[in-house]
Amino acid sequence: MSMAELRTTADLWDELLETDGSPRAASSELVQQLKGLGLAELQQRQDLAELDIVGMGITFTVYSDGRGIDRAWPFDVVPRIIGADEWRLIEQGLAQRLRAINMFIDDVYHEQRVIGDGIFPAELLAHSVNFRKECVGANPKFGVWAHISGSDLVRDGDGTMYVLEDNLRVPSGVSYMLENRAISKRAFADLFAKQSILPVDAYTDELNRMLTSIAPDGVTEPTIAVLTPGIFNSAYFEHSFLAQRIGAALVEGIDLVVGDDDCVYMRTIDGLERVHVIYRRVDDLFIDPEVFREDSTLGVPGLMRAWRGGNVAIANAPGAGVADDKVVYAWVPDLIRYYLQEEPMLPNVPTYRCVYDDERRYVIEHIDELVIKPANGSGGYGLLIGNLASPTELDEAIGRIEADPRNWVAQPTLSLSTVPTLCDGALEPRHVDLRPFILSGATSYVSAGGLTRVALRKGSLIVNSSQGGGSKDTWIVEA
Amino acid sequence: MLLSRVADNLYWGARYMERAEDTARVVRSFTDLILDLPLGVASSWEPLLAVAGSRQEYDAGHARVQESDIVRFLVADPSNGGSVVASVAAARENLRTTREVLPREAWQAVNDLYLFTSRDTESGVDRRSRARYLGRVMTDCQRLDGVISGVMRRDQAYELWRLGQMVERADMTTRVLGVRAATLLSATESTDDHDEVQWMGVLKSVTAMQMYQRSQRGPIEGTSVVRFLLFDKTFPRSVAGCVQRMRSALSRLPRAPDTLPAVDQMEALLATLPAQSDDGVALDAAMDRVQAALADLNTRVYETFVSGTA
Repeated sequence: MSMAELRTTADLWDELLETDGSPRAASSELVQQLKGLGLAELQQRQDLAELDIVGMGITFTVYSDGRGIDRAWPFDVVPRIIGADEWRLIEQGLAQRLRAINMFIDDVYHEQRVIGDGIFPAELLAHSVNFRKECVGANPKFGVWAHISGSDLVRDGDGTMYVLEDNLRVPSGVSYMLENRAISKRAFADLFAKQSILPVDAYTDELNRMLTSIAPDGVTEPTIAVLTPGIFNSAYFEHSFLAQRIGAALVEGIDLVVGDDDCVYMRTIDGLERVHVIYRRVDDLFIDPEVFREDSTLGVPGLMRAWRGGNVAIANAPGAGVADDKVVYAWVPDLIRYYLQEEPMLPNVPTYRCVYDDERRYVIEHIDELVIKPANGSGGYGLLIGNLASPTELDEAIGRIEADPRNWVAQPTLSLSTVPTLCDGALEPRHVDLRPFILSGATSYVSAGGLTRVALRKGSLIVNSSQGGGSKDTWIVEA
Repeated sequence: MLLSRVADNLYWGARYMERAEDTARVVRSFTDLILDLPLGVASSWEPLLAVAGSRQEYDAGHARVQESDIVRFLVADPSNGGSVVASVAAARENLRTTREVLPREAWQAVNDLYLFTSRDTESGVDRRSRARYLGRVMTDCQRLDGVISGVMRRDQAYELWRLGQMVERADMTTRVLGVRAATLLSATESTDDHDEVQWMGVLKSVTAMQMYQRSQRGPIEGTSVVRFLLFDKTFPRSVAGCVQRMRSALSRLPRAPDTLPAVDQMEALLATLPAQSDDGVALDAAMDRVQAALADLNTRVYETFVSGTA
């Protein structure tokens, strides 16, 4: 493989290579090996990895003709690498972010000091589709609501790592992070032997520890259950994988029942058995038909009663999603300063909130450079990419913003960083993002790296596996 | 702790895998047998349908009774729930929902077999590749069994798996006895030179050939074959051996007093069978009664562990 075959793209940051094509410090071993291997050998390792994936039954589910179809998990053998020094800062930044977000959620369901002190506008909360009035006054342990979160990170052309969004409801992907490592250890065993790459396997043990820590008072060895919508859910593989790894029961709504004592039980071959902690992978609105959607068959009648009574812990807590939308996202840096009296360590993508006069003026003046997004997150309606829009479209957008400023935010367009990726027998730069997983309970923990998703089509920024995206292992390397 | 829903899937997962293995074995041994019989000796493929217990389903979709159609139906037809490919696919679906209680290698073994059986189903029908295809099915089923024996805790999930396996296995042995052995016994008056080959076929269809010969002296002889397959508890595919293992599994599962009477009933039934049974008609009828008792046990297992109606 010649140098010319490891390409970068002008103005884009490559995770493995400097702009002149030489390796970055943390990726020098890998790049050296890639050059030594040649494309044919690399392709062979890719093919073996794909065989492993099929053989290990690592799948995700897509829907076609109303039927769920199991697809092999898409994986690219060339890893994405981050230096350990940079990673430690990201880790601290994520932990800081989640501390503030959890304090915000707890505040919002109690005194709402953040509104009283003029930090967060009351009318935005009033319009939040994810605020659950049924959760007001609830007291989950440690004041933690978002126990498991997956924040998406992207790196811009100048190398700055930004938080793109916080997934606080039922973020998925962590099982693929673990499986990708198992596969990449086979593909690059020699590199794992030669350098220090942080292991990722501790995640499930930390998950178990966190779930144990939030058990109802007095329960030291809780029975834990993973609540899944069932085998037709696209993330069923992951639900099953996690239950297996933490020794929890994998339950569906029909397996659970809330007794007259407001405790949760599961139906076993011995009869009913008490459940203390539920790691739910079912959306809020479906977990309890007595309180939320009556037509839900995925939930458990009475579950909210049991939770509010402190008889069962639910992760993530119902209502945690209130902090998971574009509105709250735009305020997170302010929330960090407000609750923690600290400066944010990880930047947000600059987000202009049209509800504030000065930010709105900036948006209107620079509208052709910005992406305009509806803040209430109702689908993609109204999303406008400034540099692609016609003058008429821009004028209309300005009209919509002035009519209802509260409903709009704007961000500059980012250029996602790239990683060399095997495409049709050649190594091509392709865009990636990164989803680390953050656990919050008695203490907090950040996964070593996360799930790197890659857009396999040239120029594409779409990394979702359901839309042709792939994945890579993420190596945190001590340089 | 074992969820009722998971218990049901495990029990049936085990039954499907055992069915795949047993069906593969009877088809392979029957193919071997027919090739051994000289031309002119009646060599119909019909008994195979009866052993598989699928005569009615077959007749519903097929006008003719011929080798390729029968073998395709029993091995490669996904619409026949008892076929090898359908059993493996059903086992895999069941195991997908029990992955958290079975060892990881167990899922991989089933997944591998599923990928193999569904890839080139016609090679399980073609005479030239059939033995190899069916051999792979049997080996993979045994690989799964090895994983379960070798790495699984003897917990409730394990016992339910064994229970399902033994119920299905006993079902197959009784069908082999009720169809093939009974037919041969009824025909003993005729001085057929190929009797011995036929009885060997019976033994091979439940992998009993070598073990039978180690336990007996002298040439293969009909009534001793029947006795071996019915009563020899040391042979894990004999009816009595399966029933004994069902008892041990149920004794270790909750609410044994609700389920064990069905095993008592089966043992009582076996005890009434004459030890020197050489009456084909009586043997066939007796096997029907054992199968009814197996169906009864199946219902009790469901009511006790799954529906909670027992």
